[in-house]
Amino acid sequence: MNKQSILTLVFLALASGCIPVKEKETLQSVSANSASTPVSSVACPILIGVAGPRTGPQAKSGMDLDLGTQMAVAEWNEKGGALGCQVERIMKDDRSEETEARSVAQSLISDGVVGVVGHFNSGVTYPASEAYAEAFIPMITPASTNPNITDRALREGWTTVFRLCGRDDDQGPVAANFALERGMNRIAIFHDKTAYGEGLAQAFQDQAALNGGEIVHFTGFAKEDTDFRPHFTPILNEEIDVVFFGGIFNQAGPMVRQMREMGITAAFMSGDGTIYQEFIDMAGEDAEGALLTFPNVYSSQEALAFKADYESRFSDQGITEAGPYAIYSYVATNMLLDAIVAANTTEGLAMSRALRALTHSTPLGSVQFNEKGDVNESLYVIWVVKDGAFVPWDESH
Amino acid sequence: MGTLSQAVINGLTLGMVYALIALGYTMVYGILGMINFAHGEIYMIGGYAGATFLGLWGGGLSVPIALGLAVLFSILVSSLHGAGLERFAYRPLRNAPALAPLISAIGMSIALQQYVFLTQGTTPKPFPQFFRQDLVAYEAGIKLFGGTLSPLQGLIIIISTLLMIGLSLFVRHSKMGKAMRATAEDRRMAGLVGIDINRVILTTFVIGSALAAVAGVMVSAYISTIFYRDGYLAGLKAFTAAVFGGIGNIPGAMVGGVLLGLIEALGVWATGASDWKDVFSFGVLILVLLFKPRGLLGEVVAEKV
Repeated sequence: MNKQSILTLVFLALASGCIPVKEKETLQSVSANSASTPVSSVACPILIGVAGPRTGPQAKSGMDLDLGTQMAVAEWNEKGGALGCQVERIMKDDRSEETEARSVAQSLISDGVVGVVGHFNSGVTYPASEAYAEAFIPMITPASTNPNITDRALREGWTTVFRLCGRDDDQGPVAANFALERGMNRIAIFHDKTAYGEGLAQAFQDQAALNGGEIVHFTGFAKEDTDFRPHFTPILNEEIDVVFFGGIFNQAGPMVRQMREMGITAAFMSGDGTIYQEFIDMAGEDAEGALLTFPNVYSSQEALAFKADYESRFSDQGITEAGPYAIYSYVATNMLLDAIVAANTTEGLAMSRALRALTHSTPLGSVQFNEKGDVNESLYVIWVVKDGAFVPWDESH
Repeated sequence: MGTLSQAVINGLTLGMVYALIALGYTMVYGILGMINFAHGEIYMIGGYAGATFLGLWGGGLSVPIALGLAVLFSILVSSLHGAGLERFAYRPLRNAPALAPLISAIGMSIALQQYVFLTQGTTPKPFPQFFRQDLVAYEAGIKLFGGTLSPLQGLIIIISTLLMIGLSLFVRHSKMGKAMRATAEDRRMAGLVGIDINRVILTTFVIGSALAAVAGVMVSAYISTIFYRDGYLAGLKAFTAAVFGGIGNIPGAMVGGVLLGLIEALGVWATGASDWKDVFSFGVLILVLLFKPRGLLGEVVAEKV
């Protein structure tokens, strides 16, 4: 009896917690829709949401997201803002936790943001993008590479989900082809059991298996693990040419160290989650020769200009080098604000239409979204760690 | 065969460390009947203290001296934190209902984590690796039945074993050890016969923290990074080990820790499925608790009249 009444209470509490949220969403979408008809349709200031890890092991990547968007917003405000309004940013910390995604998204939505730049991790972006889609708020992820994010958006008919970076079903095959072309046929694959890590590992495996590579080992471990010796033990007596890791730099660092300590001499390969200076700091001399995939973003004049500006602007915050996704965060913010100007409104669906219709000229080059909300071009190249720095493979030879 | 031997070496190394941390949980439980959930943080602070010492003063010293001093320094830092924890977070609540110190422990765990997070930064840091050539490089390893025992692994196993033997002798034969056992059995009675209970409890916290500090430095050197969240996971594993062996029971914590480490390593070795690592350890834990609800060696229950 007692238990039942507690359950009822819990149920009531949950239900009452849910209903206002739903009401708010519909209210917001209705007011947003009606707001698109009158002439002065924009409420000042314009609020842009930014979401990514500001604490936790991947806080470094969230910092790029934070500062990149900060820089874009500052530049817009210096020029007088968008549609005569100042632009303000609301940054929320999702700690790279899938479980935080929904609540961070809901709190940005209830703060009244008109567009979102974020999130960073695919596993977080996936659930968050659903919340934004339900509230008709456009979201551009600068860094989440898991294909399902935009594939699902297309399937569900959500027009508000955009991705500025590449996809893992592009990145993984680039890495796999590179390995196979150099005779690295016997392959061991590990991943961190996140949507990003597992998806990338799977994409690598599929392409490698298709082209005659031999997958000797494929497994995942918790993204909190720090002792990788048990995971390497089963492959100790196997002949392995390359170890591929789908995961993030904070694990890749100690992982490559421990792998060498156990006498595994195979090449170490990973994706965009690992191309951070922190990886080299942690792995030390064992990072040498590690192979990674990432677009060669800082190659054009405009991109280099951005990099110099970014690094001098934030040098007092301890920034010595723009991280891989700083430029993506900056460009995504500019695109969102461009869309507001082009649509002449902050109504989400009109902004999404403008985002798709525009050909954006950016420091990353000319960007055009396709029907999925992805960018069309494949830009992944192979990088190698040489003398303690990341160097494009082609330039290193 | 070679990989089995390697799995045993890996499992034993980590198991010894689980055991060292588990002792802190089990000793406090034995005496106060509470779970000190901030104990994992004491271990993590030990790792940071060691790394800080090596970063600042480790430069010109030879490997054994630098590591030895780093361990002593981290024992000092962790013991002070452990003693402070007891004095300010638990002692005022000693006669409060059982839930109050538990909540205080969880609060302290979060507070200590955030304090390291704010002062040391939010990304994992490399642990100084100047001992690499001598202690962990593959070439320096000793071949055992086809597996490789690195000198560092050997050190972890030997130091942990010595510490555990030392602790057992201390608890069994020293005057303070006798006072600790008396306090564990009946705190009020021990006080009535003239034992300074506050001192006994403080000593318990200091010993537990010192063991955790040694574990913290050794593991940080072993995995090559330090991170403010490390204590939470290691603490959870060590707490499991303590329950496994029978909480409150000192030999139980040792057996539980070593078995937990071995089960994890051997489970992954036997199946090749890294993603099942925690399933093996917790699966065995559940089986043990089904048949022996008080853990392998039995919980120490004070006889209350």
